[in-house]
Amino acid sequence: MSKQADVLQGTLDMLILKAVSLGRLHGYGVLLRIQQISKDRLAILQGSLYPALYRLEHQGLIASEWGESENNRKAKYYRLTPAGRRRLEQSARSWNEMTDIIGTILGTRSEEV
Amino acid sequence: MILRDLFLRIRALVAPHRVERELDEELAFHIERETQKHVTAGLSPVDARTRALARFGPVPLAADRCRDARGTGFVDGLVRDILYAFRTFRRAPLAALTIVATVALGLGLVAVVFTVYSMFFLRVDAVRSPGELFAVELERWAGADADEDGPFTRPDYDAMRRETSVFTDALAMLPMNVTRIGGRPTVATLVTGNFFHVLGVQAALGRPLLPEDDEPGAGRPVIVLSDAGWRKLFRGDRAVIGRRMVVNGAPYEIVGVMPDGFRGLGVTPPDYWAPLALAEQFRDDAAGRADEIAVEVIGRLKPGLSPEAAAAALSVWASGRAEFKTPVGRPIQVSLTPRQGTLSSDGFALVFSPLFFAFGLILTIGCANVANLLLARGVSRQREIGIRLSLGASRRRLIRQLLTESLLLSLVAAACGLVIARLFLEGVLYATITTLPPEMAQFVNLFNLAAPAPDWRMLVFVAAGAVVSTVLFGLAPALQATRLDLVPAMHGDVMRNVHPRRARHALIAVQVGASALLLICAAIFLRGAVAAATKDPGVRTSDTLRVSIDTETWRAAVLKTLRAHPLVAVVAASSRGSTRGVVETSLGEGGAETPSRVPVDQMAVSSEYFNVLGLDLVSGRGFTPTERTAEAGVVIVSESIARRLWTNGSGVAQVVRLEAPPSASPGGPSLPSRTLTVIGIVRDPGSGSSSPGTVGGVYLPTGPESPGTYLYLRVRGNPEQARLALLEEGLKGLDPGFGIMTLRAGAGMQTYMLQLAFWLTVVLGGLALVLTVSGLFSVLSYLVEQQAKEIGVRMALGATTRNVAGLVLSQSIRPVGIGLAAGGGLAAAVAIVLMATPAASEIGDLDVLDPVAYAASALVIATACLIAVSVPTLRAARIDPIATLRND
Repeated sequence: MSKQADVLQGTLDMLILKAVSLGRLHGYGVLLRIQQISKDRLAILQGSLYPALYRLEHQGLIASEWGESENNRKAKYYRLTPAGRRRLEQSARSWNEMTDIIGTILGTRSEEV
Repeated sequence: MILRDLFLRIRALVAPHRVERELDEELAFHIERETQKHVTAGLSPVDARTRALARFGPVPLAADRCRDARGTGFVDGLVRDILYAFRTFRRAPLAALTIVATVALGLGLVAVVFTVYSMFFLRVDAVRSPGELFAVELERWAGADADEDGPFTRPDYDAMRRETSVFTDALAMLPMNVTRIGGRPTVATLVTGNFFHVLGVQAALGRPLLPEDDEPGAGRPVIVLSDAGWRKLFRGDRAVIGRRMVVNGAPYEIVGVMPDGFRGLGVTPPDYWAPLALAEQFRDDAAGRADEIAVEVIGRLKPGLSPEAAAAALSVWASGRAEFKTPVGRPIQVSLTPRQGTLSSDGFALVFSPLFFAFGLILTIGCANVANLLLARGVSRQREIGIRLSLGASRRRLIRQLLTESLLLSLVAAACGLVIARLFLEGVLYATITTLPPEMAQFVNLFNLAAPAPDWRMLVFVAAGAVVSTVLFGLAPALQATRLDLVPAMHGDVMRNVHPRRARHALIAVQVGASALLLICAAIFLRGAVAAATKDPGVRTSDTLRVSIDTETWRAAVLKTLRAHPLVAVVAASSRGSTRGVVETSLGEGGAETPSRVPVDQMAVSSEYFNVLGLDLVSGRGFTPTERTAEAGVVIVSESIARRLWTNGSGVAQVVRLEAPPSASPGGPSLPSRTLTVIGIVRDPGSGSSSPGTVGGVYLPTGPESPGTYLYLRVRGNPEQARLALLEEGLKGLDPGFGIMTLRAGAGMQTYMLQLAFWLTVVLGGLALVLTVSGLFSVLSYLVEQQAKEIGVRMALGATTRNVAGLVLSQSIRPVGIGLAAGGGLAAAVAIVLMATPAASEIGDLDVLDPVAYAASALVIATACLIAVSVPTLRAARIDPIATLRND
């Protein structure tokens, strides 16, 4: 397995929201989706996914319902709520802004100062 | 979002099993799929599962974090704490029970005081916007007495309604009209027709009084019952509307019943309301001059207007009104006082302060007890707490758990306290009313006193009391108990001097002292009551009635009826009470070289007075029926005064000068300094303070026709039956409360008051003693437990059972002794201070320094303490040294 990056503090929520925004998913599905998009470059302690899901659900950003999984098992599915969509857009915007600023700072060469 | 959160939390609380199962399923699903993935990748099922679990991390931890995210952790913890607390209570039920009982008693008694306080000062009447209601009071000129203020009459009220605009509307009422309905005394409030409309109260049955019922001069004979009156007179019969009721001989129609809780702006409700236009039918003194009766005026202030501005506007109006006669040039001040069905007077605090003090003492003792008990419990649980701490429980968590336990106990105690308060109040009320002398009971019954139903104020108060007591008694012991050195605590080595011995002894001393104070009071009251009951009243009470006339215009009619009544044998009269005076003999009389001057009580009596009250003439003669004013120039002197005036004790036919003080009581002799001839010497009425209206001193003549005098009747047969028979006559103008009373009851009144005081103090003192004893018991038991090892060592070294018992006993003798001395000393000090103040005359024959009372109380307390101490002492003596020493 190639070297994985740790999930940055506070970004797991954002990743989950993003994953769920692409369609309803069960908990394991969220993990698969993140691994799939990130091409398995992110290391996620799988157990920490669920407290985050519960927290987001309590904040009303995602909603859950029970449904049938691909192999006919009962599974709990999560989907994004309108509030979650707003939150996702907002955090994506500030994330991009932040990476832009930090990228600029890190990319600065001595002659530019 | 918040709703969603709330929904999820509630779901987690109401269906915890389902939520837990779902969580388990979800996590299991994840691990199963991950395992499957690894199996597909070629791992054996066992290895696949192991790897899946490793990737997932600790499953219980994840589940726990999910629960935390769910926000039910606090509640889960609480539930666990509560369950744990119940287990603890089951393990030591006696301790839990003792704490609950103690706190319940304390809270209950405080709740009683609060209920009484709330009833008089907080319980706003159930009317619309009570904050807008103000009583209008006139002050004719600054510093005027209430008596000097002229009345605010119905025409004044009508004019105020017409001519001023500070109120949205105003009502007038005339409370406390005593009437007899079916032989039962009832009380009516006369009100203007807009009364119920202004207050915004609807009738529970029928209709309220309306303005049409109250046309001046043409009032309709209709009445509206209060809930209390409805229950009292008709036992809550719903078919009462339209029924007729005879009041003062005239029929009235019942048109409505008001709801429970409406008191007509009083502390207690009247029995019924009737139109003010009918005042002449209710007031003996109103015949033909209804417009001159003073009424209470209450207005509903216009919104946005301040009471000060309104009072100023009303003052201007009142000063301009010609009917308000004032001394020249003085403006009239009108003041507005809030009127919401409560009392605003703070004079009550003074009257009730001994009562509050007594209840407060019980609370003090209870508090000391609970503090001691919890502290002892905390220490006895040090081992358990030490183990839990070393297993990783946080101190915060443990304190929370200990406080949860205390709070649970307090809440249970609060619930019990409410019941105790209720029972206590109803018990006292019932006991008081059923044991009152009939005259007084009749008077008290007019007020429709009832223990108020517990309302939200009561619940809030008791709940707050429970929380406060939890913090007070639970927090310190919880902090104390969790501040532990872990290793010795686990070994069962309880810490020494967790609570300083001196403080503990002080608590015991305070408890014993307070009990002693209360029990000494009880004993003094009991001795006083016994003395008063067995004392010779000094005057004839077996067949004597006293009649008190309130409205002098009816005196002639009353006298006529009484004299013609078959049960009345003789009618006599006397002034109400006596006035001070000085008697001076002439020079040289009776062998004296200087005139003797003796201060005396003087009183006016009629010719039959000595006969009716059984005061025999020692020498000379009594007044003749024609001698009925002081102008007759004759005086009768009592034996003791005669002995002081004349060396030979006989002053018949002597001439004396009587100097009277400037003002005299109504009906009494009022002319100063007159020369009188002594015509007789009469027996002293005894020490006599228990017999109303009798003194030793000098007597001037008066007659039953003189205004302001009491009438004394010699009746035939049983005086109580005669009293009831006379009440049936429907005499007008009598004092509503004590119009006719038997002298026997009058003499019994003092005994009764002392008995009441005795019972109250003996109940409180008994409670104090029980608490003290239980406190002493628990503290000593705890000490014995704490010292078990020490005692064991001593016994192993050869101490005898007697030595050990002596050791335990010696620890309690000092504080108990100090407490007894302090309580007795305090009681004596209060007594001595009381004797030195003017209040001493109020105490009457009460011997406040009665040594028997002091000794008896001390004996009772010492005995009780000895019993409390004996159990732990015996336990200490039975300690097995081997067992205690091995107990490590």
